[in-house]
Formats: sequence, C-alpha cells, structure tokens
Amino acid sequence: MKLLLKNHLNLRTVLLWVLVLTGSIAYGQNGEALFNANCKACHSPGADKVVGPGLKDVEKRKDRAWLTKWIKNSSALIKSGDAYAVKIYEEYNKTAMPAQNLSDAEIGQILDYCKDFKPPVAKAPTAPTGDEKKDESFPWFLCIGVFVLIVLAAALNRVQKGLRKVMRDKQGIPQPVELKGVDAAWSWAKGNKKLLAICLLVLAVWGSVSGWYALSKIGITQGYKPEQPIKFSHKLHAGDNGIQCLYCHSGAEKSKHANIPSVNVCMNCHKYVKEGPVYGKEEISKIYAAVGWDGSAYTGEQKPVQWVRVHNLPDLAYFNHSQHVKVGKIECQKCHGDVEKMDVVKQDQPLTMGWCIECHRTTEVKMEGNGYYTQLHETLKKQYGESSKLTVDKIGGLECARCHY
Amino acid sequence: MEKKYWKGIEELNQTPEFLKQRNNEFQEHLPIEEALGIKASSPTESTRRDFLKFLGFGVAAASLAACETPIRKSLPYVVKPEDIMPGVPNYYASTFNDGHDYASVLVKTREGRPIKIEPNDLSTLNSTGTSARVQASVLSLYDNNRAKNPVANGNSISWSTLDKEVKAKLAEINANNGNIRIVTASINSPSTLKVLADFKAAYPTTEVVTYDAISFNGILKANELSFGKRVMPSYNIDKAKVIVGIGCDFIGNWIAPVTLAAQYAKNRKLKGGNKSMSRHIQIESTLTLTGSNADDRIRVKPSEQGSIVVSLYNKVASKAGASTVTGGNATYDAMLTKLADELWANKGNAVLMCGSNSVAEQTLVNGINVLLGAYDAIIDLDKHCNLKKSNDEAFAKLVTDMNGGNVAALIVYNCNPAYTAPNAKEFIEGIKKVSLSVSFAEKQDETAALCKYLAPDCHYLESWNDAEPFNGVYSFCQPTIQKLYKTRQAQESLLAWSGAPIASFHDYIATYWQGLAPATSTPNQFWTQIIQTGVYESGIPTKTTINFVGSVADAASKIATQKSAGEIEVLLYEKTGIGNGNQANNPWLQELPDPISKVCWDNYVCISPKMAATKSLAQGNVVKVSVGSQSLTLPVYVQPGIAEGTIAIALGYGRQKAGDAGNNVGKNAYPLISFVDGSMQYYAAGKLDKTTEDNYVLAATQTHHTMMGRAIVKETTLAEYAKNPKAGNPDVLIETPEGKQRPKDIDIWATTTQPGFDRPNHSWGLGIDLNACIGCGACVVACNAENNVAVVGKDEVNRAREMHWIRIDRYYSSDTTKENAASKNLGALSMYGEMEKPSVENPKVFFQPVMCQHCNHAPCETVCPVVATTHSSDGLNMMAYNRCVGTRYCANNCPYKVRRFNWFNYAENAKFPYTQYHQSERMVLNPDVTVRSRGVMEKCSMCIQRIQSGKLTAKKESRRPVDGEINTACAQTCPTNAITFGDFTDKDSQISVMFKEDRTYWLLEEINVQPSVFYQTKVWNHDNKTEKA
Repeated sequence: MKLLLKNHLNLRTVLLWVLVLTGSIAYGQNGEALFNANCKACHSPGADKVVGPGLKDVEKRKDRAWLTKWIKNSSALIKSGDAYAVKIYEEYNKTAMPAQNLSDAEIGQILDYCKDFKPPVAKAPTAPTGDEKKDESFPWFLCIGVFVLIVLAAALNRVQKGLRKVMRDKQGIPQPVELKGVDAAWSWAKGNKKLLAICLLVLAVWGSVSGWYALSKIGITQGYKPEQPIKFSHKLHAGDNGIQCLYCHSGAEKSKHANIPSVNVCMNCHKYVKEGPVYGKEEISKIYAAVGWDGSAYTGEQKPVQWVRVHNLPDLAYFNHSQHVKVGKIECQKCHGDVEKMDVVKQDQPLTMGWCIECHRTTEVKMEGNGYYTQLHETLKKQYGESSKLTVDKIGGLECARCHY
Repeated sequence: MEKKYWKGIEELNQTPEFLKQRNNEFQEHLPIEEALGIKASSPTESTRRDFLKFLGFGVAAASLAACETPIRKSLPYVVKPEDIMPGVPNYYASTFNDGHDYASVLVKTREGRPIKIEPNDLSTLNSTGTSARVQASVLSLYDNNRAKNPVANGNSISWSTLDKEVKAKLAEINANNGNIRIVTASINSPSTLKVLADFKAAYPTTEVVTYDAISFNGILKANELSFGKRVMPSYNIDKAKVIVGIGCDFIGNWIAPVTLAAQYAKNRKLKGGNKSMSRHIQIESTLTLTGSNADDRIRVKPSEQGSIVVSLYNKVASKAGASTVTGGNATYDAMLTKLADELWANKGNAVLMCGSNSVAEQTLVNGINVLLGAYDAIIDLDKHCNLKKSNDEAFAKLVTDMNGGNVAALIVYNCNPAYTAPNAKEFIEGIKKVSLSVSFAEKQDETAALCKYLAPDCHYLESWNDAEPFNGVYSFCQPTIQKLYKTRQAQESLLAWSGAPIASFHDYIATYWQGLAPATSTPNQFWTQIIQTGVYESGIPTKTTINFVGSVADAASKIATQKSAGEIEVLLYEKTGIGNGNQANNPWLQELPDPISKVCWDNYVCISPKMAATKSLAQGNVVKVSVGSQSLTLPVYVQPGIAEGTIAIALGYGRQKAGDAGNNVGKNAYPLISFVDGSMQYYAAGKLDKTTEDNYVLAATQTHHTMMGRAIVKETTLAEYAKNPKAGNPDVLIETPEGKQRPKDIDIWATTTQPGFDRPNHSWGLGIDLNACIGCGACVVACNAENNVAVVGKDEVNRAREMHWIRIDRYYSSDTTKENAASKNLGALSMYGEMEKPSVENPKVFFQPVMCQHCNHAPCETVCPVVATTHSSDGLNMMAYNRCVGTRYCANNCPYKVRRFNWFNYAENAKFPYTQYHQSERMVLNPDVTVRSRGVMEKCSMCIQRIQSGKLTAKKESRRPVDGEINTACAQTCPTNAITFGDFTDKDSQISVMFKEDRTYWLLEEINVQPSVFYQTKVWNHDNKTEKA
C-alpha cells in the first residue's frame, strides 16, 4: 500500500497542486474582498463619510500615483508638506490614516472596485426568511392515506350491505329492521363486545401515554423563539460577518452568565456601520436611541434595551458558563444550536435536567493540560482503566449539589 | 303631604308586566344557556351542577394554560463599567466605624449591591475576623425604615430648601452670637474632624460635645490624671501571660473586641505541640462572654469592685515596696492574696483591665499596671485608641445649657441621646428650647423625631470616610453602592452650611489625603493606593516613658467614701448582638441568641438561682425593678454565675423609633444609669418586686444547661495536657467480637481494597478548636448573610423553629456527676434531674459551635424517602431543596439536630417582614444561593457555593486550589480563628495537620457517623486548688 501511494503521489504533483491552489486564491482576491478586509472599517465605497472620507470618485480628486503614496504612508506625505494631504489631515481632526501594507496591484484593485461601486438599491424591509420556514411539516401523506382508507372502507361496507340485501331477497328472508343513530351503534356494540373492549383499552393506553408525555412537556420551552425589541440577526453577525461569540458574550469565559452585551459593545462597530442590509437604518437607530447617540456625539440620554430572555433556567439550578466554556471547552452551539444560522434566536435544546445529565454522562472531561486534574487523572485511570472514557459523571458530575444549592 | 316618586310611567300605571318584574330580583336575563351552547328550546335546561362542571373545567383549562413560562426580560447595562462583570463579585475595601465599633472590612458586591462584609486581611487590627454587629451592618443598609429624603417638621423637603433654611437660621444665630452645639458620638475620622473645625471657623460659637451611649469617661479621665493624657490606651494582650479582667467584657464589648479577642486567642492556642497558654482571671458581677472564657472567675457585686481594686493595689504595692493606701476588701482577701502573688510572679507579663467608669477605680488600676510593668510591654498610651472619647461632664453641661436656654442651635450626629441618655427627659425638654435643631440620623429615630430638621446621613456603605482607630493606624471607607435614597453625608451637609469652597466630601477627603502623600509616591497614586487597600499606617509614635502622677491615696479615699449599695444592685450591661442599640432594627442581630442566655428578641432581668429560690421567682415571672425614681417591668431570667445580690439588665432594647423589627423589643434600661462623680455609672442600688403580671415567654434557642455527663465538650487542664496531650480525650472504644475497637474502624462498607470512602479529588472538612472559640456568635450572623438564612421572629423561635445553620451550644458545668450521685443519695431519676442543674456557685461555661457535621455515614441520608439528601464524592452532605417533600425524617434521624425545616414561605409571607419580604431587604440576598420555599429542609452546606467557585477559579487557572483560598463564611469571620476549613486529601493543609493533633475528637464518636467536622479539647489553665478557692 505504501509503495502504491509513493508511486502516485510524488513530490512534483504535490508541488503542482500547491501552485494551482495558491494561484486560484490570488486570482480570487478581488477588489471588494480587499476593500472589506482593509478599508471598510473607516471608509465607505460610496459618498458618505464614516471615519474617513467616502471613496466615491476618489480618482477624480487625485490621481492613482498620489493615492498609492497616500495609502502606503500618509504621514510621510503630510510631512512632505503636500497641500492636499495637509488639507485632508486638517479636515479630519488631525487623524492620520494608518499606513497600509498593500502592493500597488492590490491598491489598483481596490480603486477599481471603488470606481465601479454602485450603492445597493434600498430594499424594502422584509421579514427574515427563517421565519417563514415551517419547523415541522404537516403529515399530508398520512392524512391522505387515512382518508383514502376510510373512503375505501365505506365503499366496501356499502357493497357488502347491498350484496347481503340481494342475497336475502333471493333466499326470501325478510329484511331486518334498519336501526338508526344511537340505536344502531348500541346494537353494534352489543354484538361486538370483545372488539369494543380491545378498542377501549387501546384508547385508554394511548390516552394515558400521550397524556403523560403532554404533562412532562409542561414548562419545557424548546423552540421558544420570542420577538426581540431589536431585530438583531445572529446569522448576519456571527454567520456572515464571522464575529466570534465571545466578542459580544464576553462573560462566557469569565462568569456564570454569558451576558447580553451592553449597548456600548454594539457601538464599537455601529458607530461606523450605520446601515444594515435588511432593515437599513431602522433597527440600528434603536441602538442609537438606547445609548443616546445623535450621530456625532453621546447625549447622555440612555435607555436600556429590554431583551427577551430566550434561555431560562429555573432559579434552583446553578449553571456556570465559564465552567463549561473555559474549563470544559464546550462549543456554544452544543447547547444553543447553530446560532450563526439563526436570524431570530430560538431555544434549540430542551434545557431539562435529563438533557443536562445525558450530556454529563457522555462528555469526556478535558483533563489534558489542566493542572487541576493532573493528579485526579492518574487516580481515575487506575480506577477505571487506561482506555476508559473519563466522563463528567465519573468525577461527581451527577451529584445533586453540583448544580443545586 | 309626603311626596311620592315613581320609577317610571309603568309604576304609575301599575302595568301587569311591571308587577311581574317587581317581584323578580334579577330582572336581567343571565345568558347561561347561550354561553354553554344549549338551545333555549332544548328540554335539558342547564342546572347549577352543569354550571359548576363548566366552571371547574374552565379553571382547570386556565391553570393548564398558566403552565406557560412567563416572559422574562433581560436588561444589560447600556454602558458596562469596565470592572464589573455580571455574575462575578467585586470586593472593595471599606471601614465600619459607627462610633461604637470599628472594623476594616472588604465589601463583597454583586451587580452593584453589597451583599457580604468580610474582614480586610491587610488590617493590623482585625485581619482575623469581624464581630456579629459588623457582619450584620450590610442588612442595615437595606433597612426599609431608613429616611428616604430630608425632613422639616415632619414634612419631606428638598435638600436645597433644607440648606437654604438651615443656613439662614445659622447665619441669624451667628449674628446674635448664639451658641451652636454639635453633639456626636466619638469621632476618629481625621477629615471629619477637619470638617468640624471648618464649620467652627465659619460659626465661631460652635462647640463639639462628644457623647457615647456607653461611656468610657472614667478611664479617659483617670489617664488624664495619671499620665496627663486624656486617651484610651491600646492593649497588646497577646504579650500577657496573666490577664485579669475586672468587670470588663473585653472580648465581647469593650474598646475593640475583635482586636482583643484575636490577641486573647493567639496565646491560648495549643497549636503544633505548644504547651503554654495565658492565664485569665475574671472578677465580675454578671456572667459576661469574657468571664465565661476565664480560667478562674470571682463573682463580686459591682459596688465591691472598688474595694477589691484597693486591696489588690495594696498587695501589689507591698510587694513592690511602694506605699499602700487605706481601705480594702476583707471578704475576698485570700483570693486576692493569691491573685497578687500570681501577678507579681509574672511582673512585666501581667495586665489588669477594668471596665468600670469610675475615675478612682481606674486610677488605682493604672497604679497597679504601673507597678506590674504592664505599660512597658502590654499597655500602649502612645499608639492610643481613638474609638472612645466621650466626655460625660460636657454632655451633662450641654443638657443644662439647653434647658437654661443657652443653646441656640443643636446638631445631633451619630448619636441618639433622647433614647440613650440617662437624663433623656431633660434632654427632650431642653431640645424644645433650642431654636434650630438638626439631626443627621439615618432614620427618624427618637432624637431625630424631636429635631426640626432631619438631614439624613448615608449608610457607611454609601459613604466616603476615613478613620484613625488607633494613633497612626488609618483605615478608609468608600461607597460600594449608589445612594439608595435622597440622603447626603453629614460631612457634606456641614461643608455646605459652612460655605466651604469644596462641597463634595469625596473631593475634600481626597484633597486632604493627597496632601499627606509620602515623598515616595505622587498624591494621586497615594490616594488610589490607600483606597484600594483600605488601610494605611504612618507615624505610629515611639513609646514615651511612663510617668505616673495619679494620686492613688485620693482615689482610695474616694472609694472608701462610696456608699455601699443596697441589698440588690442593678447592673447594666451590653449584649454581644444588640450592643448599644443603634442597630436594634437589624433582624439578624435581634435573632442572634445571646451567647450566655441563648435568649433572642428580648432583654430581661438576670438573677442568680439562689435569689430565684429565696424570692420564689421562676423564669418568665415579670418583676418590677426600681432604681431611685426610675422603674422597669421585665421578665426574669435565672442566670447561673451571676453574683449574689446582683441583677443584670441589658441596654440597647426598648427602642420606640428604631423601625418595624426593633420597636418595642424589650425595655429601655438606659434611664437606670446614674451620674456619679462626673461619670455615668452603670450600676446602682435597686429594688426588685414581683408583679402580678402574667408569665412572659422568653424566646431561647437552648433551654437545657448541661451536658448531662456526656463528653460533648471534652475538657482538660493545662497541667494535665502538658503531661499527656490526650488528656481529657481518651479514645472512644466499643465492644466487638474482636475486642474493643474504635468505632471508626468498624465499617460495613469497607473492603480490603477500599477502606472507607472513595475521595479521589477533595475531602472537605471543618476543624473547630474549642480552646479558641469564645462563643461570640459572629459566625452565626456571617452564615445568615452568606446563605440567605431566614429570620423567623420571636414567636417562631419559641416554637424552636429558628433557621440558623450554625448554632453555638453553651453548656454549664454541673455539681452533680454520675460519680458523685451515690454520695449525694440520689436515685437514678433524681440524679439526671440534678445533673441538668448548672453549678450553683460558679459554673464553668463551654461553647461549642455546631453545624451540619457532614457525616460520611449520614443517618439523614438513609431515611429520606425521595433521596433529596445524598453524599458527594467531596465528602459533603448535599441537600436538594426541590427534591425534598418535607417528611422531616432526616431531621428526626439527625443526632446533632442541625436540620431546619421551612415552616413558612418566609420570603413571601407578610408575617415575617425581616430579611426577605420587602423589596429593599431582598437586595442583600446572595444570588448564588437558592431562597428556600415552604415545606423543605435545609442545613449547613459547608458554603458549597464558595467551594464550587474556588474550584472553578483553580480549574480556570490550571492549578489545584491553594490551602486557605477557599473558606466558609463562619471560618472567615471568626475573630479568633477557632474554625478551620480545608481539604483532608491535601496532606499539608492546615486542617490535615490539625486533625492529627491529640486533642482532636468527633462529636458523639460512639454512634460512628464519621463526621467531616471535628473538634479539639478545651484546655483550662488552672489548677484544681484555685477552682475550689
């Protein structure tokens, strides 16, 4: 087998592939991507000011050579006493643009992108598509099947009845009196006591089982998806823009609470990002209202955002995020689902005690590299055997007072 | 003719329809049928039963629908302060300094709310712990009865109006040269003193009168006469080998109880093979906390103290070759000779502390201490104590001046003379004659209610302040919460009224301290550093030579002329919980059982068992105590160990305007204080008469007195211990087929490969050194605060339903033992009857803190039908409240009686308006601990929330927890470090080392429940001869 592999994968082919791949990556880096990576934080490709000036028609203001100089090292240009450079510097509160480590070609691509940029036509606000998706599809097939069966049974019954009638007529037996309504059912029941008893029994069992399940679901809010005061989309922020969960939920590694970010965290970006792709300025303006930002300064008038809690544990259960995130190294998605794909966050997991325990029974403790566990790890390896999985329950993770005190 | 009105034309016409309807009370048709979907024509008309059926269904449906979880909102900060992380506590250094007690503390805050007070371990004064009153002070912050805005003549006003009116009035008084008086409790804050000086500069007729409810005028004046310094000395009793207390409760209530208790315990600990400890002899009238810890105790009447001091002086003086004085005491001569011998033998290592407020007695005590060389080694007049500065004569003059119309303005700060002054009546009369009266009280207390203006001060947890409790030792106070109400610091008010350029006290105090920055740091750095650490020491004076100039002869002759008080002497004392009564509205303190009597929510008349017999009085009988023209009716408490002919009543009770919890609890004994020889005297001759009032039930948490011959608290003497470290603590052995064995070695679960339990990770436990426990009760309050323990009120305590997770059992020694019962001709039953009676003469007192013992063979766990209480692999007995169904089998089966049942939903029941009912008080709750509901058991969890959080911190930092890093609330707050918490699996931990000592034993070892909590034998430093003397 090894020999075979060697024959096929020689060094040359590997090198060739590497070249092809990197080449395609370089080719794929267009102006937009470069702009988003390097410029977007401070500039808009359109006309409006963010931190620095908008880059619409920038090449009409200055030529590409000057711009390349400026982008590579604006301070030097200012120092050299270039009149336009000094003017820009003065205009933007004497904040120099940081030097960018870009090649001439890359700068060219960015400028091309700015030249061709057309502001998107403002879309009418639409509800996120995620809302419209039905979580559970209605069992149409089953219904149609049952309906067909009922129709079939009724037809057969009718045929049977007709045939009987014909037979009686032929044999000259008088037709029995037709009973109607309740009387008919009663007489049928008298004739089919055993069948009725079995049916009733089945019904009773089904009733109690489904009743039991219904009762056990009381208070479980899996799938809870409340409307929030700001139509914040995790899909956009965590998914499309790839912002780390911990950037906003900074408590998850430090505290029992992951913490909903305070509005000043939103302002880190939204001081500059003034328009969203779906709702335009409407939702972002709610952040400004909460933090008291009038577009250029803080007014001091603050109004906290009243978010609706999605994940609620009862007071009797103590849950600590940092234990799970920092020590247990559990992914956020394990309990919260694929939040980065949700426009509106919903409760993904049942959050019941059984669910907690199930996980504690199957999840291995991250003992490697943690000084707290070193000695315990040795002890437990002896106790349970080298190859055994050291799950949370083996270090007391099912004991009542780990969560209830 | 009488007018007649018709309802309408129908009535006038008397139509048949009208007549029919007139007799039908409910004329309107009730659409029941329609509502139920039944056709009106249907023959089955709905009946009342149908209606109820539908109603029942409706209710059931509605309640099922109500199972929906309510919508919960989450409001994050708009701008989160950088140093606050919701869910993680922040600690700030601060200082408790209420003019009575002092402690340098750390305040634990969660989400901006102070929830717990902890000792500041950087302090040189109270790094070991805090007192019960300091622990409880966090609840006073959330007191529902605090003043919520400024008040003028009973009406709420704004600060600006108050300032305008007070300033105008002060200006007018100033223009007319009227006298302005500020009456205040002792102030040791340098910047507050500066504020007062600034105020005096603006209003030159101002004079500050220092008045403390419990006065130390006698000792201050005696020091002025003896050494030329009107100061309270500081003591270093950890350096003393012999400590003699005369009527002085120095570890319970005196100048700085926590500091002194820590010093006291320091050289009474027998750690690591140490076989020496100090000897403590107490001469006192009632049984104090200090007296109950003494190795030897001599009971005397309060009036005999003077002559005893004279005798002792003469005996020591004759040894020292100094001249003696006239007078003395013949009754206790033999004992005093022995005592003098012992003191002289330990010259340089012996100290006398006297609690009397008599100048003459304190002068003689100074004389004795000088002869014993105590000033060089133990007593320090240079690093003197600033906590007590009251001047009784100045206060008496103030009241006279007020009544004489010579005071134009009175400003009351941090004191409550209308309640605490012995001459409260004159004070109240006098205040009416003052044209401007302002109180800085935190609430409308007895004095504030009489003042025209209330300018409410902030609670110390909302304030900036500094303190200089001892000369050169500083401590700082910073706010740990936004002001809850519209209050303002008194200093800020004074600054505003004196027109100071700096109106904010923060700026004032910061400027003051920045100006004192040492050369090594910038002013700002220095200020930040002292606020962060909370303590600073500088310029502690070097000792100057003592030059005793007091006249002992004069003092002795003054004592000789003292009238011998009557047959019955009434002694007024201070309780460890309530103190002088300024925190009387604090339910934690009210429900803290008195260390000695174990009674809470009341004061009472303590009488000796002998007096009870001769006057045929029983506990709960209501008596009338008269001193001069003053009298009080109070129930009797029979207190062993109190001197014959003495009765004792606690101060600090009977508040009228303390608040909902403190009003009308007990009776006010302050009016019984007499004013003798320029000082308040806390005893007087009195009368005791039985009344016909119904018996009064005192709420006591412990009603039995002795150990009934069982070795619950094991004891020995130092001499025995030196010979054999296991003295008093022989192994408990029980019979087995293999011969006698220790119960711990018999284990049906143990196998050859697995002896005992599997404790792979931790094995938590507590060790309690009974030689260090002084019984003060600080741990009880600390536990209440940490674990959201409910206060249940007097009624429920009477039903033995108090909820405390830790209690301190107090036992007296008994004269009858199983051994001497035969010689006393006692039968089996009468023997046990006699054994329950404490020693008549002078019982020894034992204190034993008892919390859940976290038994490894727990009897409670096996009887729980729903497995709500189980054992953890860390050695803890766990309690899952939401699993508990309240059968109470566990409590029945607990040999230590430490389980508590929630008889009510204390958090939502208006009958318990103490610590959880009002919104404001709920702010004190620890968010990491569940508030228990009705019908479930609870008990000590060994502060599992602290254990879990300590483990988590260690895990996050990839290390094992360091010994001492995790601590329980009780162990952390104990002033004497009597409680040690730790991990038995860590062989080098303090608790593992302690466990191996020979004094270690388990409570009720013979029942073999294998507790995780162990105790250590109490060792007395006395020989049996002294005991008999």
